[in-house]
Amino acid sequence: MTGPLFPQGGPNMGQPAPRYEGRAKVTGEARYPSDVRLPRTAHACLHLSRIGRGTIRGFDLTAARAVHGVIDILTHETVGDAIRQTPAIYQGGYTSDSLLPLGSAEIAHWGQPIAMVVAETYEAAREAAQRIVVTTAPHPSPAVDINAPGAETRALEPMMVQAGDFDAAYAAGPIRIDARYTTPAQHQNPMELFATQCVWEGDRLTVHEPSQYVNSVKFGLAEQLGVPADNIRVISTHVGGAFGAKGFLTQRTALVAIAARRLGRPVKLVATREQGFTVSGYRAETRQHVQLAATRDGRLTALRHEGWELTSRADTVAMGGASMTTRLYACPNILGRVNTVAADRSTPGFMRAPGEVPYGFALETALDELADRLGMDPVELRRVNDTQTEPVGGLPYTSRSLMRCFDVAAATFGWSGRSPRPGSMREGDWLIGWGCASAYYPAQAGNSAARVRLTADGTAHVASAGHELGQGMTTMMAQVAAEELGVPLERVTVSLGDSDLPPAVVNGGSAGTASVASAIMIACDAIRARLGVPRDAPYAALRAAVAASGLAFVEELGEARAHGRSPESLPDMYRGRALPLGGVELPDRVQFAMGAQFVELRIHRWTREIRVRRAVGAFAAGRIINPRTSHSQLLGGMIWGIGSALHEHTDIDQRNAAYTNANLADYLVPVHADISEIQAILVSEEDRLVNQAGVKGVGEIGVVGVAAAISNAVFHATGRRLRDLPIKLEHLL
Amino acid sequence: MDTEKHDTTAPSSNRRRFLVGSALSGTVPFLPHEAEARAPLAARPPGDAAPGFALHVNAHVYQVALDPRTTLLDALREHLDLTGVKKGCDHGQCGACTVLVEGRRELSCLSLAASMQGREVTTIEGLATPDGRLHPMQQAFMNHDAFQCGYCTPGQILSAIGCIREGHAGTPVDIREYMSGNLCRCAAYPNIVAAIEQARDQGEG
Repeated sequence: MTGPLFPQGGPNMGQPAPRYEGRAKVTGEARYPSDVRLPRTAHACLHLSRIGRGTIRGFDLTAARAVHGVIDILTHETVGDAIRQTPAIYQGGYTSDSLLPLGSAEIAHWGQPIAMVVAETYEAAREAAQRIVVTTAPHPSPAVDINAPGAETRALEPMMVQAGDFDAAYAAGPIRIDARYTTPAQHQNPMELFATQCVWEGDRLTVHEPSQYVNSVKFGLAEQLGVPADNIRVISTHVGGAFGAKGFLTQRTALVAIAARRLGRPVKLVATREQGFTVSGYRAETRQHVQLAATRDGRLTALRHEGWELTSRADTVAMGGASMTTRLYACPNILGRVNTVAADRSTPGFMRAPGEVPYGFALETALDELADRLGMDPVELRRVNDTQTEPVGGLPYTSRSLMRCFDVAAATFGWSGRSPRPGSMREGDWLIGWGCASAYYPAQAGNSAARVRLTADGTAHVASAGHELGQGMTTMMAQVAAEELGVPLERVTVSLGDSDLPPAVVNGGSAGTASVASAIMIACDAIRARLGVPRDAPYAALRAAVAASGLAFVEELGEARAHGRSPESLPDMYRGRALPLGGVELPDRVQFAMGAQFVELRIHRWTREIRVRRAVGAFAAGRIINPRTSHSQLLGGMIWGIGSALHEHTDIDQRNAAYTNANLADYLVPVHADISEIQAILVSEEDRLVNQAGVKGVGEIGVVGVAAAISNAVFHATGRRLRDLPIKLEHLL
Repeated sequence: MDTEKHDTTAPSSNRRRFLVGSALSGTVPFLPHEAEARAPLAARPPGDAAPGFALHVNAHVYQVALDPRTTLLDALREHLDLTGVKKGCDHGQCGACTVLVEGRRELSCLSLAASMQGREVTTIEGLATPDGRLHPMQQAFMNHDAFQCGYCTPGQILSAIGCIREGHAGTPVDIREYMSGNLCRCAAYPNIVAAIEQARDQGEG
């Protein structure tokens, strides 16, 4: 029998407690939003644009209406002004893009929702949606991608980063690297589809929808529908994966809400897998340019990183990863720039480590090129340029354990056995490649609240509108309350994923645990203070204190304000505007989790088949509340990295920007057979500054750097430097 | 749709021939919301009334009358309220909808409910014993943290049981190959393989 894979804890780590909701998930009892059963539900099906940018000339709904069981068909002609135009999150609003749902005859992009059928059954709704006839006038030459002639490039001046004199230092650099990289469009593809159920009771609306931020849905929908936010409740108890795709309010929710209002009965929409490719955002494709100059002993003297990111015509969205890649290594002369390239596409959004995955790939590959040019071990190159202060503003890292991660991972991997010359390691017909790269992710937090109740029977309940996305939020919440109060873990219950609960930060940016744990700690402190029970009091004393109080329970609300947020920002948390802050965005310091990724791959000498044989990652991310769930996140992240490097890219039709592989057979994600030995090591680190909980977050860092480690290993195996993702065997022929 | 549920295996007589109505769209004569629930039937085209048939699921018999296009997946989820089975693609590409049919793993999204007449379907809800004892594969998944979001998990567990029964779980390489139809986007793959090895070594499948 195989033993458990997860670590059993260590310094500054909590217990590897099993998942709070584990039993519900293995028995099928866990109800995800599309599993919630509402009496008299009508079923909706979207009809998406089958052209790229263009105009709707008219609908023929005769055949669709003739399908038995069809109740209603929403189009821009029938919706009227039921939905109001509201700003997107990028303008301080709530929606993931600024297109008004069914707002006009204009089609901005392929896959835009242009109609929605509601019928008695799912089968009827689906049939009718397919029978909608749309007459359109397509734009003759939509800009389909980042390289299209009609796409508009715009420099984002506020994202410029500058230190010293890059041009002069680069010109004078003894050793120089000048390389361009590309990364593809990718889609999060959580296993759970984008579902929404809406039910009105009088003027009160309940929404069941998988979300990373119920309050974005609640307050955004209130604005869109002109309904008081107090009348809207959004419930998202279990979320079947999100990865950034479920962060903010998408167009579908308002459509389902108004359909349910028109019908006077619940309406359920489950977007198809293909529809999901444009129902929410995605990782935009990028082009990048990196220039490095270094002394002969490897010290960086100049670093330039410029990125071009695809965006939509409607929204200027950029992940701006150069703001971080310019802060990671000691270097006196730095230039970072970010540009957007607007094309006729749906608005991109967040996908696990949104800025770090593409920009980290470019920088960490460029560093490997530099190490090769210098004849230097790539680990040593990172060591020579390691720093405890970021180089642009001279701000201190709250803690930084990059080289400890490299040393632990290198030792585990056996890096000292590497023969550095490309193509020098072989096993029969297989070329062996070893590569490494740094991983980094900004430690962020957002304003969050939590309510903790300690009952006279000695049980505790903790509640916050955070989300269980699979990252282990529920278990973490129970553990923090148990530890802070001294209540046995099995006596703590948890509520989350409900806009009626105290608000929490959007569960993105790896900020969920840091933010919500801090709020729970504040609430628990308040409970102990009220009862006059010291921190390390035994459980019996705590119970005795509640009994002596004569109260049935003691309850406190904890509100944690994130470092860098003003006291005036707290009310925003109660209006669905609690966003993560940290990394390089703070005035007084920078805060990052760090890691090191090592990969061994083999490439077949004749077929050029690429297989990742093993991967070792080591990560230091402050306090680890649950090593078991953290480890699983890091493993999953590393596997995402493999997918990002070798599998995942969304194919774009050059005629109309249709996604031609918008399904799980053609959009390749790692499967069981792609993954063999993956080792994620939690490196102990203590950071008392970063936030009250001392937590940096591990949801995203596992992905970062893997693609570079793989491209570097491909170079080591073959001598071929590949700078475009994903790397495929045909690139090595 | 009409739904009737009979328990075929429960030993106690009071559970035998126990009738259960589907609250969403089913009708059972004794339930108060009968009139509402009949609405879908009224919408069915004349002359196309779907014939009723029996679905055998988790040792219960459900009398159903469904649109002939209804997949086993949608029948289980939307009509029998067995929502442990998940829709991840509806195209047989992800494995989230895996169930056991006559003990073999099948994709319920690619199976029409009507084709299941007389065949025994097992869903995730049918694995634990009536007194709540988990199937060893369920326990193994918990022991090894073999899931995160949990959405693919029912399919992974049922597929893993099928994989062992087929004799395809002898080595980690075999397990990976024969479990590759079940995608896990959280990528709990190493933990899933470890869980399957544990259950296999306990002689379970």
